[in-house]
Amino acid sequence: MSAGRIQTKISSALPRIGLSSLVLCLASGMVLIFYYRPAGEVFANVEEITTLVPYGWFFRQLHYGSGQAFVILMFLHTLDHFLKRRYVHYPMRVWVTLILALLLSFFTLFTGFILKADQEGVFAGRIFMNILQTIPIVGASISKLFIVSGNDFFFLPYIYHCFFLPILIVYLIRHHIRDWLPNRGFMMAGGACLFLYALLIKPGVVFPPDAVTPSVEGPWFFLGMQRLLKAAPPLWAGIVMPGVFMMCVFLLPLTRKRGEFSASAGWLLWGKVDWLRYAVIFMFFVYTGLTVKAMIWGP
Amino acid sequence: MEKRQVYRVRLSEIHEKGMDRRGFIKRAMAWGVSVLGGGLFAYPVFSFMTFRKSRKRTVIFCSDEQGSDVFFKDGVYLVHEANAPRALSARCTHLGCTLNFDPTADRFRCPCHGSVFERSGKWLSGPAKKDLEHIPIKKAKNGDLTAVVTL
Repeated sequence: MSAGRIQTKISSALPRIGLSSLVLCLASGMVLIFYYRPAGEVFANVEEITTLVPYGWFFRQLHYGSGQAFVILMFLHTLDHFLKRRYVHYPMRVWVTLILALLLSFFTLFTGFILKADQEGVFAGRIFMNILQTIPIVGASISKLFIVSGNDFFFLPYIYHCFFLPILIVYLIRHHIRDWLPNRGFMMAGGACLFLYALLIKPGVVFPPDAVTPSVEGPWFFLGMQRLLKAAPPLWAGIVMPGVFMMCVFLLPLTRKRGEFSASAGWLLWGKVDWLRYAVIFMFFVYTGLTVKAMIWGP
Repeated sequence: MEKRQVYRVRLSEIHEKGMDRRGFIKRAMAWGVSVLGGGLFAYPVFSFMTFRKSRKRTVIFCSDEQGSDVFFKDGVYLVHEANAPRALSARCTHLGCTLNFDPTADRFRCPCHGSVFERSGKWLSGPAKKDLEHIPIKKAKNGDLTAVVTL
């Protein structure tokens, strides 16, 4: 098989396996929702799911594995399109909608990380709340839309994780999905891998929120930001820099050349240099470097 | 014949421009009304969604808990000083993680981004920059110390 054909196969497999992960993630989430309570002793509740409730460990790992798989595969699917400059064929509105869906998928993963209610989850929630509060003027109010301190700490992340975000993501990608139950082969392959993962891999060691541990790590996709937050003010590291990166990604369809998708060139193609594409690649490499550094030497 | 054509073209241009101007005013008014209406609706919604009652938590240190040099309870460190005990918020002033006390170095350390504070609460190093919050404490008749933390 030629390299081109293999590439095409991978390109078409990524979103299809991703979709089967999404189906499993939603299904396992619907099981977990029957025991999970976002108030009271939440950490104890999660521990009960893992150790006491019949097959709780399985459903928890299946939900964790399928959620991670969905977001990683969607990210790779987007990366694949980015590398092939496929974004120039999208109307601006469609591209923005799909990138927004990817962003919200990461946010769903992050709210899930908070809802584990162990030490790293609680600290991640508090850091998120404090970063939002650094936004000038409206920061304090905006943070209350997502998370509040006290007894209701897990309530809003729970509402976002279980209702707002899944509904919004499915709504945003509704026109993008050709077939909600794709090729049986992909469904079976994706499902089999995730079932095996949930059966064989046990949940990692967790610390209760009041444990004394020398260092606490955020989720893998925020390790680079944890590193950045040590060096730069929270408003810059947590809001401005990610905001600039996302803005550059949103504007990518405007870098089309004359004849690509439309007769006129995009107004962001200055001269013949596709500078926005290079800016996105540069920022992505810097962030990946920070993440890898944090993974090896600690955040 | 030629003149008439020119005249017709000009008339249609004027007509279109007139329509444009009228259309623009109409569109601007529609936008203005929808922004105003949206704002009138959005403001109460936003106010409702972001309202929280101010909440406080009372932390009581009984006499047994006052014996150790540095004692942690419910987000508050009770630190013994030469004159009187001092209550410090255990919340890092950077992004809110709970600080650990390192007895060998006699310092508070943040496990998230590595800020370090003196036992008095003064900031020493790391991204936090601000000193720890001091919490006023009251002594009850039975010897209990009470600290009130704002959440």
